[in-house]
Amino acid sequence: MHIDNYSDTINACRFCFMCRHLSAVGNVTFRESDTPRGRALLTGKMLQDMKDFHPDYIDTFYRAELSAANRFHCVSHYDEAGLIMAARRDIVEAGLAPEKVKNLAAELMQAEFTVEGSGSTLYYVDLYSSKADAPGGCKIISGGDTGKALEVLGFVKEAEAVWAKFQAAVKASGCQTIVTSCPASYDMMKKRLDGAKVLHSSEFIAGKPGSGSVYYLDSDYLKNYNDNMNAPRDLLKKLGYELKPFGTNIEESYSAGEGAVVYDKLNPELAAKLCDRIAGLVDNPAGDVLVTASPYTRFVLNKYTPQIKVLLLDEVAVKGIK
Amino acid sequence: MIAKKENYLLSMLHSELADAVGREYVSGNAADQLGHSIDYYWIPEMWHDRGRENPKPDFIVHPGSAEEVAKVMKIANQYKIPVTPWGGGSGSQGGALPIYGGIILDTKRMNKVLAVDTESLTVTAETGINTQHLEWAVEKAGFSTMHFPASIACATLGGFLAHRGTGVLSTKYGKIEDMVMSVEVVTPTGEIINTLPVPRHASGPDLTMIYLGSEGTLGVITKVTMKIHPIPETRKFHAFLFKDMHEAMAAGANIMRSRLHPCVIRLYDEPETAKLIKRVLNIDKQGAYLVFGFDGPEKIVDLEMEEACKICRKQEHEDLGTEMGQAWWDHRYKFFYPPYMFHLPQAFGTLDTVATFANIEKVYWAMKNAVNAKFPEAVFIGHFSHWYEWGAMLYARFIVENPPQDPHEATLYYNSIWDLAIRAAIREGGVINEHHGVGLKLGRLMKELYGPAFNVLGGIKKALDPNNIMNPGKMGF
Repeated sequence: MHIDNYSDTINACRFCFMCRHLSAVGNVTFRESDTPRGRALLTGKMLQDMKDFHPDYIDTFYRAELSAANRFHCVSHYDEAGLIMAARRDIVEAGLAPEKVKNLAAELMQAEFTVEGSGSTLYYVDLYSSKADAPGGCKIISGGDTGKALEVLGFVKEAEAVWAKFQAAVKASGCQTIVTSCPASYDMMKKRLDGAKVLHSSEFIAGKPGSGSVYYLDSDYLKNYNDNMNAPRDLLKKLGYELKPFGTNIEESYSAGEGAVVYDKLNPELAAKLCDRIAGLVDNPAGDVLVTASPYTRFVLNKYTPQIKVLLLDEVAVKGIK
Repeated sequence: MIAKKENYLLSMLHSELADAVGREYVSGNAADQLGHSIDYYWIPEMWHDRGRENPKPDFIVHPGSAEEVAKVMKIANQYKIPVTPWGGGSGSQGGALPIYGGIILDTKRMNKVLAVDTESLTVTAETGINTQHLEWAVEKAGFSTMHFPASIACATLGGFLAHRGTGVLSTKYGKIEDMVMSVEVVTPTGEIINTLPVPRHASGPDLTMIYLGSEGTLGVITKVTMKIHPIPETRKFHAFLFKDMHEAMAAGANIMRSRLHPCVIRLYDEPETAKLIKRVLNIDKQGAYLVFGFDGPEKIVDLEMEEACKICRKQEHEDLGTEMGQAWWDHRYKFFYPPYMFHLPQAFGTLDTVATFANIEKVYWAMKNAVNAKFPEAVFIGHFSHWYEWGAMLYARFIVENPPQDPHEATLYYNSIWDLAIRAAIREGGVINEHHGVGLKLGRLMKELYGPAFNVLGGIKKALDPNNIMNPGKMGF
């Protein structure tokens, strides 16, 4: 089993409560099982008993939002997010993935990538962006998720196949630089794409000067997976915006499930609850402008909590906040 | 008592609980049952590690208000079902374990900050709130609870109230019971009551204090108003190394007897200095490490710090300076993260107790000598981390590398260390616990500790909880 590779994490986390305050899903479901401790207990029990995954355990693993805020917080950085992805992989390989997961995976496997436009830089349009989000002067690649979503769902072989298609399309484009506003795809490409420079849009777009104050919501994949808290903030500051601290702290995930890539498609009720929690922390819902570096986060917050104003960093850079 | 699984009465009960709190807030699923069958107590951890089943709740219920808690209480009384309140589940005494099954009443859904009174400097909050979340919210308003336990991120506010918890700045700001103004409680029979709005009065006995430390045996605390404090202008630390614990204790006690107001004093005995201070802070020294801090207006802090240092320098010492003191503060929680915290297969326990300055060293040596004599394989270490005008708290710990593998044998072995050490503490003027509570772990020793006075506690329990549904089997009830 793949969770065998995480026995150090299981042993460290199964009786440890030190990061539970950062369990984004646990903070809205209030369930002990929705914390790194709870999930480590479940995986540990699986290893102990060597039995099939209990359906309740499977549901729990697919409720995880994979923000990795807990791993980022832990003084020893035990890989609780990696453990859940390993458990999902074991579930899939055992043929035990729930129907809704299988259906979503089947949809994601349909990805076919096309490149259009002209330019020396390639811009990737993810599932939650549109071509209109792309900066001018770039070629555009689109057609589905890069395989990251399949990977976090536990469909690793299928993710490889989609990734191979994506990689081939990138190579065929002839571009040496690829840019995306999607932090999850950025994470995937940064770690796996050979022969091309990978940039998040916050590291690429120039933007035009603006004014006013904004609240920046950290992206899980930029902050917790790539230790990048600064690029989006630096861009906003460079453009002239005053940055205000959102919520009560910088440790919690305020991305509404970005870590799980397609969380809203799998767990729409929980995505809505995560959005409600974020909306509840807005100082002035009528006037505050929230900025996210994640198209996913923009999408779900706009969908479930339309009473608050949420903009993508890229659109702020190009159009301002009015 | 609870019906058997195959009995339709269980589904009937599920319906009633769902009607009380909402269907999505009642669970009997296997993942949640496992999560609620283990807290931070060594016995259920060991039991689980050995592949045994811990007692599990039949239902986990998440009420969203005092009114919903009251409904659950009435249902439980109707069917005479055990109700075990659960906050963060991070208690070390087994106080939240559902040892007789029944209902786990998980309070975490009651997590709102209701009001910050900037005139009186109080905050009112629901007790299911995670204490780190509470502190962050209070800090956003420009204040602090000054409640900084190592478990701040693990536990709920209600958990601290239930077992009289404490934080690292308790020497100045008090234990949780010193921070409370008033509480709202749902009684075991389902009435919602409030204690008086202020903690100092001559309007009868202090009802609030009956509930603080009652560990869910007398009701469920659902709301609290507690003191908050301005963020201090500065907080500074200083560390000394003394040749032994006795010298360091003299320094610490003299600081307290001088009536200076340190926010923290922490003294590590020689074995803990050699083991943990070296490992976590990388201070590789022989002796007893003492750190203290002051906070408030800088001028006053500097003056108090100077006086405290003068007191320390009267003992045989090595001055480690401010940097080695600040390092302790910066890493104060690191001790409790894996792999720094003790862990299975080790057996370990925290024998925290408290006594007057006249007795505290006698308590330390009585516990240590008793454990060392009968269990030479056990390592006994300790530090003193909460100081009062009259005495100090001893946070003693024992660690056994290879306890018995058989879980029954391991339980007997483990409990015999506890019995021996706690009885030694009681004989020298200590008590069975200072800030972790009693729970399942120490309930059997309550009658010994209290003597005939335990009948008073028993009478209160019987009067408030006639069907004994509230957290049965805990605190000696």
